Amino acid sequence: MKNLTLVVMLLCYSFASSSGDSTIHTNNWAVLVCTSRFWFNYRHMANTLSLYRTVKRLGIPDERIILMLADDMACNSRNQYPAQVFNNENHQINLYGDNVEVDYRGYEVTVENFLRVLTGRHENAVPRSKRLLSDEGSHILLYMTGHGGDEFLKFQDAEELQSHDLADAVKQMKEKRRFKELLIMVDTCQAATLFNQLQSPGVLAIGSSLKGENSYSHHLDSDIGVSVVDRFTYYTLAFFERLNIYDNASLNSLFRSYDPRQLMSTAYYRTDLYQPHLSEVPVTNFFGSVMETIHTDSAYHAFSSRISKSKIKSDTPFNQLSEQDVKEDLQNTNNQNDELKTEKQKCPYSEMRADLHEKLKKIENVDTMVNLSIAVMILVVMVSSSLL
Amino acid sequence: MARTVLTWWIPLLILQSFLLAIAFGSNEVEEEFSESLLLKPLPDRKVLAHFHFENRAPPSNSHGRHHHLFPKAISQLVQKFRVKEMELSFTQGPWNHEHWGGSDTLSSMNAKPVGVELWAVFDVPRSEVDTSWKNLTHALSGLFCASINFLESSTSYAAPTWGFGRSSDKLRYGSLPREAVCTENLTPWLKLLPCRDKDGISALMNRPSVYRGFYHSQRLHLSMIDSGMLLEQSLTVVLQPDTVYDGKDLQPSWSLSSLFGRKVVGKCVLAKSSNVYLQMEGLAHPEAHTLLKNEEFELSIKPDRTLRETSSVLFIFDIDKSSDSEPFDLSLTWKLPSKWSCQQAPLHASRFLMGSGNERGAIAILLKATESQDKLSGKDITNGGRCRIKANVFQIFPWYVKVYYHTLQIFVDQQQNTSSEVLKKINVSPSADKMSSGMMEMMLELPCEVKSVAISIEYDKGFLHIDEYPPDANQGFDIPSALISFPDHHASLDFKEELSTLPLLSKFKDKSLVRSYTEVLLVPLTTPDFSMPYNVITITCTVFALYFGSLLNALRRRIGEEERFLKSKGKKTGGLKQLLSRFTAKIRGRPVESPSSEPTAAAQSSVLSSKLLFKIILVAGVAAAWQYFSTDK
Repeated sequence: MKNLTLVVMLLCYSFASSSGDSTIHTNNWAVLVCTSRFWFNYRHMANTLSLYRTVKRLGIPDERIILMLADDMACNSRNQYPAQVFNNENHQINLYGDNVEVDYRGYEVTVENFLRVLTGRHENAVPRSKRLLSDEGSHILLYMTGHGGDEFLKFQDAEELQSHDLADAVKQMKEKRRFKELLIMVDTCQAATLFNQLQSPGVLAIGSSLKGENSYSHHLDSDIGVSVVDRFTYYTLAFFERLNIYDNASLNSLFRSYDPRQLMSTAYYRTDLYQPHLSEVPVTNFFGSVMETIHTDSAYHAFSSRISKSKIKSDTPFNQLSEQDVKEDLQNTNNQNDELKTEKQKCPYSEMRADLHEKLKKIENVDTMVNLSIAVMILVVMVSSSLL
Repeated sequence: MARTVLTWWIPLLILQSFLLAIAFGSNEVEEEFSESLLLKPLPDRKVLAHFHFENRAPPSNSHGRHHHLFPKAISQLVQKFRVKEMELSFTQGPWNHEHWGGSDTLSSMNAKPVGVELWAVFDVPRSEVDTSWKNLTHALSGLFCASINFLESSTSYAAPTWGFGRSSDKLRYGSLPREAVCTENLTPWLKLLPCRDKDGISALMNRPSVYRGFYHSQRLHLSMIDSGMLLEQSLTVVLQPDTVYDGKDLQPSWSLSSLFGRKVVGKCVLAKSSNVYLQMEGLAHPEAHTLLKNEEFELSIKPDRTLRETSSVLFIFDIDKSSDSEPFDLSLTWKLPSKWSCQQAPLHASRFLMGSGNERGAIAILLKATESQDKLSGKDITNGGRCRIKANVFQIFPWYVKVYYHTLQIFVDQQQNTSSEVLKKINVSPSADKMSSGMMEMMLELPCEVKSVAISIEYDKGFLHIDEYPPDANQGFDIPSALISFPDHHASLDFKEELSTLPLLSKFKDKSLVRSYTEVLLVPLTTPDFSMPYNVITITCTVFALYFGSLLNALRRRIGEEERFLKSKGKKTGGLKQLLSRFTAKIRGRPVESPSSEPTAAAQSSVLSSKLLFKIILVAGVAAAWQYFSTDK
C-alpha cells in the first residue's frame, strides 16, 4: 500500500516537475524598495511605506516582506514628527507604525544587495529575514521607487540599476524557480523603459510613466516641508484603501483606475509575458496573501488529488474569496484562470491515480501489488532515461 | 519474610522518590522575568526614564532547548555562536555628562556612544573568534533590523586587550557611529520581552514620545552566569516635560501620562517583580521625605517604600495594584524651586579635530577636571602617599585615518610632559590599509590636582577607492567614540537598607566601572568629483568626433564634383522651386534672386575652400593642443 502510494506520488512529481506552469500558488512575497537617499526624497520612502502598509493590511506577513529603505526619514533630525512618516498632509495615518521591520536600510540598499535578494545568492551568514525565500509557487510583488531615467533606476544617487540587470535577475529567478508570477511596479520617471528587456514568462509590469515622461509628486506638506507622496502611488493607494482582504477587484480595474490627467503621466502596463486575463486576476494575488481554502471531511492525507478535484469543481473562483476561513492554505484562486490549460495536463494522471486506487482496493494479494509497483518503477526508469 | 521486605521497601521507595523530587525541585531554577522603571528628574529641567527588564534562564541543559520566558532567538545565538557575554546598544543623542551625571551607575552603564555599539566575548578557540564574530554580526543585523553586518569586515572592529575594561583575548569590539536608530530597532527588541509592549511597564513606550527625547539608548546585555543565562534589556530616555515656563524657576512638573502619553494599566503578569522607582537627588531636607507631601514637591501616589542613599532618596512603587479602572499614573509636582548638581566623573572628556585641509590633521582628547574631583581625591591615595587618578583611553581609528603614533603628545596643565611621567602603559595596533583598523589603548596616571590633560596625535587622511565611498561621501566620515574609563573609580548606589531582591537595585549596588564616551568626530576626506569619469568620457568623445569628423569630411569631400552638381541643379530648377523662392521673396519683401550664375558660384567655391582650410587648421590646432597638454601631464 505504502509502496504504491509512493510510486504514484513519484509519478506525480516527475510529471509536475516537467510542467512548471501547473505548480500551485503557495505563498505571497513582497519586495519593496525605496532607492533614494536624502531628506528631500521623503516622498519615495513614504511611497514605499504606504505599499508596505497596504500589503501588510491585505495579509502578507512581515517575514515575507523584504523592505529596503535607503535612508532614515522617520528618525531624521529634520523630521519634526519623530518615528512617524506620513503620506498625506492630513497626517491621519502614521505609516511607520509601531511594528515596522526594515530588512535593508541605509548603505545596505545597493544594486548588489537588491540583485542578491532577487536571485537569492547570499553569503552563508546572511539571516533568513534578509532573504527572499520564495519558491516556484510564489507570487511576488516587486515595488520600486526612486529617481530613474531611460532604462535605468538610480540607487542612492550613486549607482544605477539598468533594465538589462533587472531582466537578467528576473530571468535567473525564473530559471531557479523562485516565482510563479511576478508583478513589477515602478514609480519613477520614464518607468516604462525599465521593462524593455524583460522576457521571462509570468512577469507583469506596471510603470508610472512612458518614455519621455516624468512622474510627479502629488502634493507638498508644509509642516514636513517636502512633498510627501508621488502621484502614481497616491492613486494606487486611493484604489487600495477601498479594498479589504475579501474584495476581488481585478488587476484590470486597478489599471483602469489610473487617469493620465490625474497622474500627469501615462501609466504603462506590460502584459505580453503574462498569460491569465487581467480582468480575472484579483489584485490580492499580488498585493495580499489570500489562499484558497479547501474543506476536508476527513483528516489530512494526500493533498494532490484534492487540489485537482477542487479545481475542477470551483467554476466561479471569486465567489469563494468572500468565504475565506483559516484552514490549509494550499492554492490561490489565480490557478483557476489557467485551469483549462492545466486541466488537460492533469486529467490523465488523476484518472490513472483513481484507477490505481480502485485496483488497490480489489487486490489483496501482496505479491501482485509488489510486482505491479516494480513494473511501474521500471517504466518510470525507462521513460526518464529515454528522456535524458 | 517476603511480605515484611515489601512492607519495608514500599515506604522507602516513596520516601526516596519524594526526596528526589525535592532535590530536583531545589536544583531547578525557574526562568525569571522582572520589569522596572526608574524615573529621575534631572537638574536641567528634564526627566530621565530608565526601563530595565531582566530575564534569567537556568543552564540550557536542565530544560533542553525549551524556554518559557527567555527569548528563544537569544538562546539560539548563545548556542550557535557560543557567546559568553555580549552587549549591543542603539543610541541617538549625546549624553550630557555635566547635567545628567557622570559617575553614577546609571550614566556609566547607559551612556553609550552614538549609533550602534557591539562587543562580545566568545567561548571558542582563539582561531575561531573572528568567524564567530562575523556570523554573530549577521545574525544580529537580521534580528534587530540594523546594518550591524557592516561590523563583519576587519576594518571596522578591533580586539581590545585591556583598555576596554575587560581583559580577554576572545573579545571583539566594534561600533557604527552613523547607524540610524528608530522604531524598527525597538520592535524586535520589544519582541524579546514576554509581554512585548502590550502589558506592564513596556506599554508606556509610545514610539513618538520615546524618539522625541534628547537622548535614547536601547541596550541589550547578555551574560552567562553560574546560574544560567542573564539577559538585561534597558532603554534610557531623556525627555523634556511639556510645561509653560512660569518664571519662578520651578522644576517642571510631570506625570507618566504627560511624558509618554500613556499610563501603566497593570503589571506584566509573567513578571516576578514589577516596580517603578523615583530617584530624587539633592533634596533640601532628606529626612522629611518619607511623607507624601512636603513643602518642596508632591507625589500623586504614596510610595510603598523609601530608601535613603548618601546623596539621593529612592521611592519605590509597586504597580500590582493598578488596573484598567485605576491606572498607575505617577506624577510629580514641584512647589519650591530646587537646584542640585549631579555626581561627576573625575575628569570630563571631550574630543575634537585640529588642523585644516584635506591632507592631514590631528585628533585631540581633552580631559578636564570636574568639581567632584576634590571629593574623590581623598579616596585614591595610592603608592607613596601621592594621590593619583588612573584613566584608560581606548580608541579605534579607521584605516583611512592614518595615525602617526610617534606624534603622540600629552600636555598636563598645558605643560608638555615627557610621556613616561603620566603614560604608564600603551598598546598600539597600527592599521593596515583596507585590511584592519587601528587601535590605541593608553593607561594614564595623573596627579589628583590636575586641571586639564590634552592628548594629541597627528594623522594623514587616506584615499579611498572610488567604489568605497558611501553615497553621501561629502558629508564626511565618522571616527568612532573614544572610551575613557577610570579603573579606580566605581559607581554604586549605597543604600542603607538591605534590598537586594529587587533586580534594578541589586544592579545599582554592584560596583561598575566609571566610564564615559567622547563625541563622534566627523572627518571630511577628499572626495573626488564622482561625475568626473563621465565628464572625461564625454569631452574626449566630443573632441575625437570633431577631429575625425572634420578630417574625414576634408578628405572625402570632392568640391569640384559638388560644384558641378550644384550648377546642374541650378539649371534644372523647376517651377515649384521658383514658386517657393518667389513666395519667400514676397514675405521678405526683396526682389527675386536669379538662379546662381557662374561668377557667384566661383566666389562661393573660393569662400568654401578658404572656410574648409580654416576648419582643417583649427581642428589640427585643437588636436595639437590636446596632444601637448595631455602629454605634458
